[in-house]
Amino acid sequence: MTLFLLLIGTLQAQESSEDEARYTKRVEKYISRWEKLIPRYSKIQYAGSMGLISLGTGWNYYRNHWETDVLLGLVPRYSDRHAMVTMTLKQNYYPWNIPLSDKLSFEPLACGFYINTLFDRDFWGRQPDKYPKGYYWFSTRIRTHIFAGERFTLKLNENKSWHKSISFFYELSTCDLYLINKIGNKSLKPKDYMSLSFGLKLQIL
Amino acid sequence: MFKQALPLCLCILLSACDLIDYHPYDGRLTISERNINEQNIPLIEAATKDKDTIRFVLMGDTQRSYDETNDFVKHINRKKDSIDFIIHGGDYTEFGMKKEYEWAVDILSKLDIPYVGLIGNHDIIGNGDQVYEKLFGNENFSFIARDVKFVCLNTNAIEYDYSHPVPDFGFLKEELEDSTRQYSRTVVAMHARPGSDQFDNNIKDVFQLYIRQFPSLMFCLNAHNHQLQMDDLFDDGIIYYGCSNIAKRNYILFTLTPDSYTYEVIDF
Repeated sequence: MTLFLLLIGTLQAQESSEDEARYTKRVEKYISRWEKLIPRYSKIQYAGSMGLISLGTGWNYYRNHWETDVLLGLVPRYSDRHAMVTMTLKQNYYPWNIPLSDKLSFEPLACGFYINTLFDRDFWGRQPDKYPKGYYWFSTRIRTHIFAGERFTLKLNENKSWHKSISFFYELSTCDLYLINKIGNKSLKPKDYMSLSFGLKLQIL
Repeated sequence: MFKQALPLCLCILLSACDLIDYHPYDGRLTISERNINEQNIPLIEAATKDKDTIRFVLMGDTQRSYDETNDFVKHINRKKDSIDFIIHGGDYTEFGMKKEYEWAVDILSKLDIPYVGLIGNHDIIGNGDQVYEKLFGNENFSFIARDVKFVCLNTNAIEYDYSHPVPDFGFLKEELEDSTRQYSRTVVAMHARPGSDQFDNNIKDVFQLYIRQFPSLMFCLNAHNHQLQMDDLFDDGIIYYGCSNIAKRNYILFTLTPDSYTYEVIDF
């Protein structure tokens, strides 16, 4: 009888330690899942039809071949009555990464697309009700861009610097409405409808 | 080495200014043209002052037709001695984007004959109206060629709310009451004519009554409908002449004689 009670006690203890391990595992999994949402780098980009300057953050994943950025841009006041703020969601793809030295690497192709939206009431996502149905089919607020470019990355000393690496990139892009203008017009040259931009990426994680 | 090359790279890239674009609607003009109407009106008035016969071209709706507009400019420049000025009936752009304005104005600036430009409904989209104001000037304007006053109006009412008067009767009143400039005949030009989807059709009859107050209203001009039109819209003898879009490769040439006028549709 005593032996039987002892046996049960041990089993219970084993069960509870197993429970604890399972619980810890679950918590770790839960934390690591949320940790994936922590932005891994910051980016700053000049021009590119999404603002004079755009600042943002993002995530790199799948062996660093993919990057997704969220950027906020500023369009200063030129002809308009006021300056404007834009937001960009950008998807990048880097098929190759070529190490040039211990610290320097080169990505010969960066490509992808971005969607830019204007925060301004003078621009609409869908035409306002005052127009006859189908009068203007396009959105003035949301633009879709495609781009291609290149990138250099310099590894930084992690003991000295808060950042793991710094990258310099440049891109050529164009947007939906520019391309529609190009259709049927030989006189429009790439320099007319292409947009050059460049920027820096600072890798934190 | 990389750190040394970086500033150099930046300099090269910055100098590639043509390719720098902040936003399709940034309104940052990279061409030097400003106040085109204000600059060209004195040229038109001086060139026609001592002439008996005035010849001018009505064309318009050049949006997304840069090649055809180029051909039009070359065609007109070949016969520049027989034409005094050109009226562009509006719609330089399809989407109201700054670059579209610049592409169009770049081509039109190659004209050897002075031109004036009206505002079209597409030119107002986004912040296009503000770009128009910088490039062309006021949306309502007038000029006098010999003895004929050309009253040019923004009639794209649906693009605005009621805080912005379209057509602007205040402007029309000022023009009617202005006695500082001598003229004996009038032509009214607009992008969208009465009855069109853009016009404030609630007031179209009042509009017609009002513009008929001008001294000897001869006829009206419009663009917008992308087809040739010659219609007595109000059965009052005032013909509205509408030009087709430039993609159809034609325009209307008007000849004003001291007591009459003729017109001709010319293909190019």
